[in-house]
Amino acid sequence: MTLVRKLYDWVEVRLGISEVIEKEMTGYLLPRTINNWYSLGSVLLFAFTLQVISGILLLIYYVPDADKAFKSVSVIMNEIPFGWLIRLCHAVGSNLMVATLFLHMFSVLFMGSYKKPRELQWVSGFTLLNLVMGISLTGYLLPWSQLSFWATTVATNSVGAIPVIGEYLVEFVRGGKLVGPPTLGRFFAVHVAVLPLVIAGLIGAHLFFLKRTGISAPPTRNDPATTTRQGSSYHYDKHEGGIPFFPNFFLHDMTSVSIYMACLLGVVFFSPYLFFTPDSFVPANPFQTPAHIKPEWYFLANYQILKIFPSEIIGLTVQGAGMTFIALLPFVDRGDGRYPLKRPLFMVCSLGGIAMFIALSIWGHLS
Amino acid sequence: MEQDGRRLFLMTCIGGVAAVTAGAVAYPVISYLAPRKGKDNSASVTIPEKELPPDGAKFFQYHGKAAVIVRKKDGSVTALSAVCTHLGCIVQWEAKKGEFICPCHGGQFSAEGKVLGGPPPKPLEQLKATVANGVITIG
Ligand code: HEM
Repeated sequence: MTLVRKLYDWVEVRLGISEVIEKEMTGYLLPRTINNWYSLGSVLLFAFTLQVISGILLLIYYVPDADKAFKSVSVIMNEIPFGWLIRLCHAVGSNLMVATLFLHMFSVLFMGSYKKPRELQWVSGFTLLNLVMGISLTGYLLPWSQLSFWATTVATNSVGAIPVIGEYLVEFVRGGKLVGPPTLGRFFAVHVAVLPLVIAGLIGAHLFFLKRTGISAPPTRNDPATTTRQGSSYHYDKHEGGIPFFPNFFLHDMTSVSIYMACLLGVVFFSPYLFFTPDSFVPANPFQTPAHIKPEWYFLANYQILKIFPSEIIGLTVQGAGMTFIALLPFVDRGDGRYPLKRPLFMVCSLGGIAMFIALSIWGHLS
Repeated sequence: MEQDGRRLFLMTCIGGVAAVTAGAVAYPVISYLAPRKGKDNSASVTIPEKELPPDGAKFFQYHGKAAVIVRKKDGSVTALSAVCTHLGCIVQWEAKKGEFICPCHGGQFSAEGKVLGGPPPKPLEQLKATVANGVITIG
């Protein structure tokens, strides 16, 4: 113990570490009414870290070459000790991370936390959701299975509906007329280098915004009608008399992280192929399209929208408009008050929107 | 005092859980990273005698490392490890001089592997070689 103490004192004299701990941990006060939904951000940080670490481990044996990719993934799954564990943690983890992103988004939506002064938190967060879906899409191609190949063919094809430049754009994205070895090269670079860096940077911005505005207090029925920030000068939301982040809320964060891990390992151990279809066990064959190619569950709604509109460009426009609306929500919904039960119009639109998303996904799954 | 006992108990529990978790993560990760056992390469190597030119040398893999056979002036065959004992570069055969030279730092070895000059501290490792019916067997 004295050795640890000495080391601590050595660092303390030089860096004043206790002041940082006081400011960021024990003296960082959160509202007394804070609830467990606020731990989802930490769960996402954990989930992202897990994806990065398992991804780096996969890179050791994965070969990004159309002739060797499928084989290298089979070797990881069947021959390398615990390769199956690392690969499944990565593949199942991507699905769970997207699910957690939706939960985080819905929680800040219903608590009205996107309103002034947290518009930038929302915009950066929504961008993160889309980038994480993008990193999943590019990762989907890498095992070079029938599923990878044809799901990527369908996904990249819809870009072609954009007028004038569409056709060229598809070719640009694929690196050729059809999905093939050049596509693997591009998707690999985007999946392992470009998007991880962009996402990490954007998470940094997301947390910076949080630090500057201070965390919100959950809305309650008894809040004054004007809980949305008024005035035009900078102000940090501090919560005097609140609970310290460390150890109080940190424990809640750890509880939620444990639940996340339990779900992840539950799927990995008891239903490892939950997110796989038979086509993901067959190597890609560019001359044979399997029947019923479906995207991952979180793209099913987009997939179904493209199918129900008679022309692809209308489907794309509807999606683009919907996404833009969600991204700019804090600038559209600027009304006072954050307590959801006192905002009937908001509740109808949000619940209706979520119900529609779920219905479209189920429809897409069954069709 | 009672406070201290409780604190110690809880800290021990947390430490224990942390240690078990660290172990449960480290074990699969280290197994995953551990070098894989290749094909069984402990077997002896056979080379047809005619592949070894007179006063020439032939390099090959032996137990996963570089090795060499040379035919000496008297016609007999020696097998040596080709790994220089200085810093592990692979020695080259100089047919004209009948010597090995290490290209990295100029170590010189005789055809029997003895150090003739330069930094190597030890002779090249000797391997067992037998010639029978026109086949050289090493190991
Ligand atoms: C990789 C993805 C993401 C990470 C790592 C992340 C991380 C975090 C963290 C650590 C917090 C603070 C604690 C909390 O309230 O949970 C937070 C807050 C917040 N996030 Fe995210 N987030 C991500 C994605 C998103 C998305 C998709 C949205 C919405 C579209 C979003 C919107 C917000 C908002 C509005 C807050 C402020 C909450 C408040 O102060 O009450 N974030 N995020």
